[in-house]
Amino acid sequence: METIQLLMTGFEIALSWQNILYCLAGVSVGMIVGILPGLGPSAGTALLIPLTFAMDPISAIIMLSGIFYGSMYGGTITTVLVNVPGEAASVVTSLDGYPMAKKGRAGVALGISAIGSFVGGVVAIIGVALVAPHLVKFALSFGPPEYFALILFGMTMVVGLAGKSIIRGVLAVLIGLVLAMFGIAPSSGDIRFSFGQAFLIDGFDFVTIAMGLFGLSEILLGLEQQMKKPEKPPKVKGLFPSRQEIRPSAMSIGRGTVLGFFLGLIPGISSVVPSLLSYSMEKRLAKDPSRFGKGAIEGVAGPETANNSFTGGALIPLFLLGIPSSATMAVLLGAFVLHGLQPGPTLFVRHADFVWAVIASMFIGNLLLLFMNLPLAKFWAKIASIPFNMLFPIIIAVSIVGTYSISNSLWDVGGLLIFGLLGYVLKKADIPVAPIALVFILGKMMEESLLQTLGLYNGNFMEIFTRPISGTLMALSVLAIILSIIAGMKNKKALLGDSEV
Amino acid sequence: MKKRLSLVVSSIIMAGALSACSGAEETSSTASSAGESDFPKKPISIIVAYDAGGGTDTTARTLQPFLEEELGETVTIVNQPGGSGWVGWNAIAAAKPDGYTIGFLNSPNLASGLVNPTMEKQVDLGSFEMIGNHVVDPGAVAIRVDDKRFSNFKELVEYAKDHEVTTTATGVAGDDHLVTLKLNEALGTKFKAIQFDGTAKSRAAFLGGHVDVLVTSVGEAYPMHLEKQLKVAAVTAEERSSFLPDVPTVEEEGFEPVISQSTRGLVAPKGVDEETMEVLETAFEKAVTNAEHEKKMEEIGTQVGYYNAEDYRALLEQDVKDIEGLKELLGW
Repeated sequence: METIQLLMTGFEIALSWQNILYCLAGVSVGMIVGILPGLGPSAGTALLIPLTFAMDPISAIIMLSGIFYGSMYGGTITTVLVNVPGEAASVVTSLDGYPMAKKGRAGVALGISAIGSFVGGVVAIIGVALVAPHLVKFALSFGPPEYFALILFGMTMVVGLAGKSIIRGVLAVLIGLVLAMFGIAPSSGDIRFSFGQAFLIDGFDFVTIAMGLFGLSEILLGLEQQMKKPEKPPKVKGLFPSRQEIRPSAMSIGRGTVLGFFLGLIPGISSVVPSLLSYSMEKRLAKDPSRFGKGAIEGVAGPETANNSFTGGALIPLFLLGIPSSATMAVLLGAFVLHGLQPGPTLFVRHADFVWAVIASMFIGNLLLLFMNLPLAKFWAKIASIPFNMLFPIIIAVSIVGTYSISNSLWDVGGLLIFGLLGYVLKKADIPVAPIALVFILGKMMEESLLQTLGLYNGNFMEIFTRPISGTLMALSVLAIILSIIAGMKNKKALLGDSEV
Repeated sequence: MKKRLSLVVSSIIMAGALSACSGAEETSSTASSAGESDFPKKPISIIVAYDAGGGTDTTARTLQPFLEEELGETVTIVNQPGGSGWVGWNAIAAAKPDGYTIGFLNSPNLASGLVNPTMEKQVDLGSFEMIGNHVVDPGAVAIRVDDKRFSNFKELVEYAKDHEVTTTATGVAGDDHLVTLKLNEALGTKFKAIQFDGTAKSRAAFLGGHVDVLVTSVGEAYPMHLEKQLKVAAVTAEERSSFLPDVPTVEEEGFEPVISQSTRGLVAPKGVDEETMEVLETAFEKAVTNAEHEKKMEEIGTQVGYYNAEDYRALLEQDVKDIEGLKELLGW
């Protein structure tokens, strides 16, 4: 009961009019930062930290965390409308979000994202307040073998996303792995495939890959389509899910919340993992999995919710251990320290007013985002109805400016163009691009955790199978592969007949 | 409605374009040739080879106002991340040598790149004119508070002479990794470094009991030491750190001295004339040794370590020499 009381005190602080204004300012700036490609949430937050120097620490953190979760929502908007995922977690949303927008249902996609994000965020915050501090020990039991097994499990899910042809899916996964190889080898320090270019020493930037493979290639395909047979932009058809969609979406939101929250507790997991696992779960549980990839509402609701509750859960390792789960959280951590709030097990005791005020403000911030975005969804969705010949140059210009801003250099712009062309060719060949972007991220983590495991256990790979958590995950991976082979054989006939799209 | 929409979209683009332009201007601001003692006559750009919000960026932005005060001109921080720092460092070396574009070097990261045989070098230490060193962060060797095998540095070393003990590292020949290698070389221990992608991950693996010893920097370790989340057993520095007054150096524990630290210093491209360098060096010294600056830096948990241009060059040369001596252990 003590926690409830503390939370109430937190609300008291967070509900002062200054703090509500700071929260509003934070989420609004965050939305804008999320919409502009290139200027990611971490850079956006970092650039605004100096503004907070003169502020009261609690207000400062309230505003900065507002930017953080506001930008997550902003990223969803560009992903759904123009298929440009600004950050890794949005790649999964693009799978069904963009097809929904193409059918004129952008408003529905954005609406369900707003609701899902709200539910996921709020439930996670309640979880943080009530139970999470006791779960830290469990989360820390995730060592390198467990990470490896979890990532491998994620990879098997990626192959499942591939669509109709397993071979094309595997091909996409391999391209992703090759791209992940660029850069410095984690154990030897050897620089791989840099061709003497400083820009390649660290490998590719995710934003360049995502904007090229998704955004630019989509525009090239669209232009081709326009030349052949001009297409009318889709009409925006309302904001609310149809009656029969309400139940499945609610279920997806519920499952996404639980999944995201628990994954958030494990320190250092990429935000790709919760979205990806939620998407695969939804696809497997759906009555008609063939709708996925063509605009299934569960494919948007689940991952978006998981993403947000992941962020909420990730506050625990951040507050208690000082371990951030993402680059943006690392920046937030820096802001904590700047304002004299050192994370650690006693943070909840030493700065109780701070912790609970920030938690309460996130509740308020999520509510503000919901109120802002439900009406705005209609407005954003109208972007999808701008004629293509006006929309395309705008997207290209924004993408180029965004990529340029990654490191103030034209090099990344060149990368964008190359990945745009690559994406175009791949899409023409019917090879899905989402697995490439996801594996690019997971591949690096997989190599790292495998080498760590081998280093820790003197090259004994079996350790991964004999530890309880990693062993279970490995078994699940094998099961997933077997299931998809069986499903593949079952559907073979049906797929052979279905050659369109 | 449509009109309003296009207005919004175009203003978003404008904002983006403006920010991009300002970035471009900063790096290419090379109007008049300086040289007289009236330097500086226009804003100075400082290149930081890492992302906004990172450690180097934060300390650079802390120094910025003090430098501005001394120079009487605007100083802007330009982030040029990428290539593990090399994009930015190459950009400093390639900048027009008029003193208006300078930047921060990070060692031993720079030094290890210079020694790495798979690196196709475009610059070396001769490509820079040193201005001075700004930050020193010594290595910290930390153990878990509940570890039953060892409870201080002496016990740790004795144990590690007979047993393989795993340590964390964050990059091959990076500052953390060098601590492990130098300890093995000097003390005959059997520490085995496991590479992690960043301190956050290495710390999680250490706290979870997967890796035995956390090797990190004093700046990263001292808050957790104070919180008793871990125990810093020794620092690899010449003297104790003011952040950890109760932690001995390796030498104080009765071993051969082992010095390993990361440093950040300000440099200009080679070829800046002497008078300009003098202005920069003087302003930098005054800004760094300003008591208020030191206080600000302490608040963000960073140790100021001023070295003048000459000493800073010697420090970087020593870093390169150290890593060359460890080539065999690195497998290079």
